Amino acid sequence: MSPFGQSLGRIWAVALNTFREAMRNRVLAVLVLFAVGLMAFSLVLGELSLHEEVRVIKDIGLAGISFVGILIALFLGVNLLSKELDRKTVFFVIPKPLHRWEFLLGKFVGMGVTLALLTGLMAAVLAGFVLSNGGTHGVAMLRAEILVLLELLLLTTVAMLFSAFSSPYLSAMFTGALWVIGRNTPELTAFAGGKLDGSPLGSLLNAVAAAVPDFHLFYISGGNLEGNIVSIHEGFVSWTYVAQAAGYAGLYGGACLLLAVALFSRRDFT
Amino acid sequence: MSILEVQDLRKTFTRGFSRRKTEAVRGISFAVERGQIFGFLGPNGAGKTTTIKILMGLIFPTAGSASVLGAPAGDRRAKAKLGYLPENPYFYDYLSAPELLDMVGRLHGLDGSARRKRSAELIERVGLGHAGKRPLRSFSKGMLQRAGLAQALMGDPELVVLDEPMSGLDPLGRKEVRDLLFELRDAGKTVFFCTHILADASMLCDRVAIIVKGKLRDVGPLGELLSPKVQSVDVVWQLPDGAETGALAALRERPGEHETTSEGEVMRTKDPDAAQAFVAAVIERGGAVHSVHPHRQSLEELFVHEALEAGQ
Repeated sequence: MSPFGQSLGRIWAVALNTFREAMRNRVLAVLVLFAVGLMAFSLVLGELSLHEEVRVIKDIGLAGISFVGILIALFLGVNLLSKELDRKTVFFVIPKPLHRWEFLLGKFVGMGVTLALLTGLMAAVLAGFVLSNGGTHGVAMLRAEILVLLELLLLTTVAMLFSAFSSPYLSAMFTGALWVIGRNTPELTAFAGGKLDGSPLGSLLNAVAAAVPDFHLFYISGGNLEGNIVSIHEGFVSWTYVAQAAGYAGLYGGACLLLAVALFSRRDFT
Repeated sequence: MSILEVQDLRKTFTRGFSRRKTEAVRGISFAVERGQIFGFLGPNGAGKTTTIKILMGLIFPTAGSASVLGAPAGDRRAKAKLGYLPENPYFYDYLSAPELLDMVGRLHGLDGSARRKRSAELIERVGLGHAGKRPLRSFSKGMLQRAGLAQALMGDPELVVLDEPMSGLDPLGRKEVRDLLFELRDAGKTVFFCTHILADASMLCDRVAIIVKGKLRDVGPLGELLSPKVQSVDVVWQLPDGAETGALAALRERPGEHETTSEGEVMRTKDPDAAQAFVAAVIERGGAVHSVHPHRQSLEELFVHEALEAGQ
């Protein structure tokens, strides 16, 4: 086998283990059940609306997938590396014949597979609810769900970066704070460009908005995109937008992973 | 070529806000030859685990070097030839033993059939066949130690590094591990292990290194390190029933320390000639000599001597 193939094999070994760990985590099952419960509750809310059942189910279902996905990515992401240190499993795995970057990448791939599977599962349940109420799942929903998955993957890389050098609690706090700021970048830039325009604080806010990961890109339904209101129900974003968002997530997430590798590679495991 | 070479290895930790420095390893050098069982001994806090962690690529040395078969310690090529059992092994406790070995096999680049074959062999070899697919979290300490040994051997390593391999094992388990280590040596493997159980080290090691306060005190074959000089001789003896009472008293008055034990009368002396004369006197009075046991310096005595000399 080529060195590249061997490297892929080692990354996959770590990824498979990360996936197994996640799948055997009961908290995860509870969170997914919570998402499904939320979707079921949307049926009740749909009944209360005036012939807008499918709209309510789609809105609440998508929000549920996003919310639960964020919780899972945050909860698992900050623990990906710190748990290895706390439980001292790092003393078992690092002496094995793999590079530290392969270990880190394997953890991310395993987490990515887990998130893709869970998002797919929740999306399938949501599609079932939508279809059973006479609606159609449609390509717009698919795009929205892919965007949610991209957001979760980016959030995971941010969580991994913080957990490469700090405790799980601090990592969760930092990652959570970045997510809140990143989800509200339009408000932040609008504030900086309004009353604070030209002031040092306005410049600072603009710099922060540019530096933090733009999570708003991935949860666009109901938002304003170049003067148009984007909605999952009509006039949703194109595949080109999804591809651009994927490119952004790849570049930003890749930079986070590179930084995490640099920190992790020189770390002493005492 | 030595399988493991350590040259002037140093590790200083910097801790806390005050940046306090602690020298854990202070310039140690030694080499381990192929096919040996090498014991790395030292009291708690001597620097054994720090040295092993450098060899395993878990921490980086402040100065000096360590290499495994020519590759720098911590390098993937070096780790490919190593099997390592950490002290108090912590594994992914949601995995079963076959899953753990499958993961290790994948990391060593074994294909599916090789992984299954080797995993089944090792599970039987370490006596975990009865554990089936139970997760490791349900294992006893001894079972975890056995799983640890199995995973250390999964990649068919040339050098096996074991940190306290007997820890948590019952006497039968310890004997099995000893047999396994001898088997590995007979198969041409090299074993490097650190232990607190000096009886095991005496029984197993071809060579030992004693580290105290981060410095090597002694390295060499046990036979050379331990003084061959007889330090004392124990004679276990008994007079026949009905022997005259004066004879017993006369023998007890001869030079040496005397005591009565469940095995019989015991005479202890530092003078081998006095022991020989005492044996002759017992036989002359119609008594029986059950055993004559010369005491030479034990590894434990050497270890304590080195530790005390270093002010430990």
